[in-house]
Amino acid sequence: MMRLLHTLYSLFSRTYQAIAVLALLGFLPSAALAYTGVTLVMSAPTIVNTEFVDAFKEEIAAQRIPLKIKVIDLQEVGQLQVAENSELVIALGVKALEAASKLKTSTPVIGVYTPLPVYNKLLQQSKRDVGNFSAVVLEQPYTRQFNLIKTILPDAGAIGVLLGLTSSQYAEQIKDEADTKAINLHIENVNQGRELMDKLKQILYKYDALLAIPDPDIYNRETVQPILLTSYRHQKPVFGFSKAYVQAGALAAVYSTTKQLAKQTAEIAVDAQAVRTALPFPQAPKYFSVALNSQVARSLNIKLNDEELIHSKLLQLEVADEESRH
Amino acid sequence: MGKSVIALLGVCFAQSALLAYADEGFPQAVVAENLSELDYIGEVPKVLTVSRLSQPLSDAPSAVTIIDRETIRAAGIVDLPEIFRLVPGMYVGTNAGYIYNTNHVVSYHGMESAYAGAMQILINGRSVYNPLFGGVNWSELPIAVADIERIEVIRGPNAASYGANAFSSVINIITQTPSETLGNRVIATHGDGRNEAFYSHGGKVDGLNYRVTAGYKEDEGLDNRNDFKRTRMLNAQADFQINNENSIELEFGLAQGARGDGNINEDPVLFLPHTRQMSNHYELIRWRHQISDTSDFSLQAYHNYDRSDDQVTSANLRPVFRQLVFDNVFTTLTNQLNARIRAGTVSIASIPTRRAAIPVTANAQADAAAASLVNDTVTVNKQVEIERYDIEAQHNFAIGKQFRVVWGGSARQDQMYSPFYLGEDKIDYFNLQRVFGHVEWQAHEKLTLNAGAMIEHNDFTGTDTSPRASINIKLWPNHTVRLGISTALRTPSYLDEQFNTRVIIPRTPPNLNLLQQFQANKGNVNPERIISRELAYLGNVGRLNMDVRLFHDTINDNIRTRSRDDFVTPAGFLLLNPDDVVSGLNRGGAETAGVETQLKWRATDQTQLLFNYSRVNIWETVNGLQRNFEKSMPAHTISALLTHRFNSFWDGSVAYYQTSSTTQLGDGDPVDLNRRCDVRLARAFKAGRVSGEVSTVVENVFNTQNQEFADYNTLGRRARVNLKLDF
Repeated sequence: MMRLLHTLYSLFSRTYQAIAVLALLGFLPSAALAYTGVTLVMSAPTIVNTEFVDAFKEEIAAQRIPLKIKVIDLQEVGQLQVAENSELVIALGVKALEAASKLKTSTPVIGVYTPLPVYNKLLQQSKRDVGNFSAVVLEQPYTRQFNLIKTILPDAGAIGVLLGLTSSQYAEQIKDEADTKAINLHIENVNQGRELMDKLKQILYKYDALLAIPDPDIYNRETVQPILLTSYRHQKPVFGFSKAYVQAGALAAVYSTTKQLAKQTAEIAVDAQAVRTALPFPQAPKYFSVALNSQVARSLNIKLNDEELIHSKLLQLEVADEESRH
Repeated sequence: MGKSVIALLGVCFAQSALLAYADEGFPQAVVAENLSELDYIGEVPKVLTVSRLSQPLSDAPSAVTIIDRETIRAAGIVDLPEIFRLVPGMYVGTNAGYIYNTNHVVSYHGMESAYAGAMQILINGRSVYNPLFGGVNWSELPIAVADIERIEVIRGPNAASYGANAFSSVINIITQTPSETLGNRVIATHGDGRNEAFYSHGGKVDGLNYRVTAGYKEDEGLDNRNDFKRTRMLNAQADFQINNENSIELEFGLAQGARGDGNINEDPVLFLPHTRQMSNHYELIRWRHQISDTSDFSLQAYHNYDRSDDQVTSANLRPVFRQLVFDNVFTTLTNQLNARIRAGTVSIASIPTRRAAIPVTANAQADAAAASLVNDTVTVNKQVEIERYDIEAQHNFAIGKQFRVVWGGSARQDQMYSPFYLGEDKIDYFNLQRVFGHVEWQAHEKLTLNAGAMIEHNDFTGTDTSPRASINIKLWPNHTVRLGISTALRTPSYLDEQFNTRVIIPRTPPNLNLLQQFQANKGNVNPERIISRELAYLGNVGRLNMDVRLFHDTINDNIRTRSRDDFVTPAGFLLLNPDDVVSGLNRGGAETAGVETQLKWRATDQTQLLFNYSRVNIWETVNGLQRNFEKSMPAHTISALLTHRFNSFWDGSVAYYQTSSTTQLGDGDPVDLNRRCDVRLARAFKAGRVSGEVSTVVENVFNTQNQEFADYNTLGRRARVNLKLDF
């Protein structure tokens, strides 16, 4: 295997440099983008998706940008058709992104509510270029999650992580980022469903907390009970990846609300239109919130600050991280 | 490169972008089928509801000992009650009893007989307290030790949360939820006088998780005692998640088997050694409803059924009765003659003749008496059938971050059919209703207040209230002091309140039928009352966890069994035992005080030590207690468990138990200082899909031949091997 490029780029300050690097390497589509409208494609008219549409419209309206916004419900139309080239397509959910990935490669597409592995798969399958097929993925940056753990459990010794078939591809990256944050991280790979409880118990027995990295084979509706119950019985906190997981019994999570994702997406749409250039790289959620379960904290005898306070502390840490990288 | 750029593995995170480009040899990333955004942001059912979240020990109103799976495994027990040796203040005695119960004696702070009835025992919220004699028939519970997730022992009375009978302590046994135990498990144990095998299967069908465990246990009991136990058991548990707010839990259990009962040393005439058949089952359903993030409701109903088929035929009564009459007549006539001799009312010359005539008369009367019995033997049917219906509603909620509240109510009916023990051929109904509430107030980050009460009404003793309150002060982080006061009542059992136990031996008219009257309860026994005060310290220093508790309990209206002098023999009967007809009644009072210490030291990640010590003093404050109340708890008890993991395959443990001399109540005898050391060594292995463990346990390594509870329970060294397979 030959790795030609393996570089870390800073999103905010270096995206354009990265794009420049890509342009040099000849990856970018030759034609600059130009569009007059945005089409929001929903996998289904779920509450989350319709909320996103509303929030997105509000954001665009607030910025006074004359963008036409069209909404398509994938369930209603058999095949996705848009005015090619003239529109930016924002796909809400996996199904929508899948459909959008089949559009003409010159149509710019941004996926929202998209897991990173799905984005990668579709990028590969559609043979599109990153420059016109981007996403705001669902995964929060690992460093943000490590910052959360350090803020809540400053004395934590070691953290355990369970990786399944889907998430194991990020093992190295998780480990590297934990190292830079001086977090003692241990990974257990779960290759078969029946190994899950044993591996979980090994982690809970040895380490101070479990960091949940999304993987459908590990964290799903059916495993939420055994994972949270067993962790609780070992008196070990779980750091989740969604507000729902925190409500179910995880101690805390960083997550992005619909409004926050809509804001970020709107910013990309507006910027891309203004600059008339390629879409930015797929990116992690920029704006985020902190969810805490005070009842669980109480029961585990963990002292928690307010969500606001933790959130501002995380923002400070991200600024500091950014500065230290320069 | 060009088109060969196939994989973009990374993502630009807020501050970093990781791109990995590869040639065609780069493995394609695995992405689960149907991976959807819902796997990330979808709703999931709430698991750690307010009711599932217990208070941290530093906020809890009582002393709690938690025994987890790992401790149970390390202790190497096969009999569930053995684990309570690791609870400070607990007395556990192996007991080859002989009436209805050949089980371990488990009591907390003494003042208990073999049928220790002052503890509340719950399995997944279901009371297994036996209302007939009180206490629990431990070996008859349809539960496999391997299915137990954890045991919480609340030391000290806690009627406010668990109702009357949470008098001395509460044992809360929690099994693994079915979702935690998917797959198959086989466990087999073979050892001295002991064989066991269990099979367990856990699976899921749509939203339903279930586990079924079937087992067979064979226990030959102690040497020279008729206390064998053979038990078949089945246990099933299922959880069904209806939606994010509602779930249903179902449980079913069944146990059947034979028990050795009766013992020739205790009773060579009436209740000879025989085999008793027991069978029981239970069904439970629980609905959990999530009202909001901080409020949930549960409704549970269960049914217990216990049956004991226990028929025993006496020895041939004619020679026994003949001897009894002969001795009686002989003594009476001899005494009469001696009195006349001393009074000088009989001529000296006639004395030899008169003396010679006495055995002749006695023999004649004894023969007549023996002949008067209708049958050689008498058969007594001690059948017992007990049913319990119980329904309970509970609402848990939090108000802000400072208050947590639980309140609820329950209703129960016990149905008792026991013609022999109750002296009537009909079902007796016992009804009980409860309302309870508990508030935890975190007034300050260093101060937690707990208060609660239960109001209970039952058919035996009417309405009573048991309140409790405590203050927890966190002096420094990891150092908490607790001051508490708690009250509780012990409702009399059927043994205390309603036993009317007799054996009738028919004779040919006009002879009076013979009556052996054991218990003849007068009834109207009041509940026993306890007020418990405590001062406790909980602390963590490095890897050492400490729990030290000073307690002072006042117990009044002790329920005792005393001889009654006002028993009137029913017309048409000749009472065989006028001096020992007994009744339950309230008599006397006592105080108990002492200290309990529980230390957990995680010396290294591989080595742990659990050490318990308790000092319990009992003294009589109100005259009237029987026998050796003050000795009914060993003054000093020590227990320790050292566990060590050598590597990922081997682990071992050493347990040490010591109790000073004691005389337990009821059938208990004085027993001396008892020391016991158990050793366990285990090796884990993995072969393909199967993972397992082979372990060996040697109980009482030094073969001390100590006695527990009574002088007939002599324990020597015993060893066994255990194999566990998971696949």
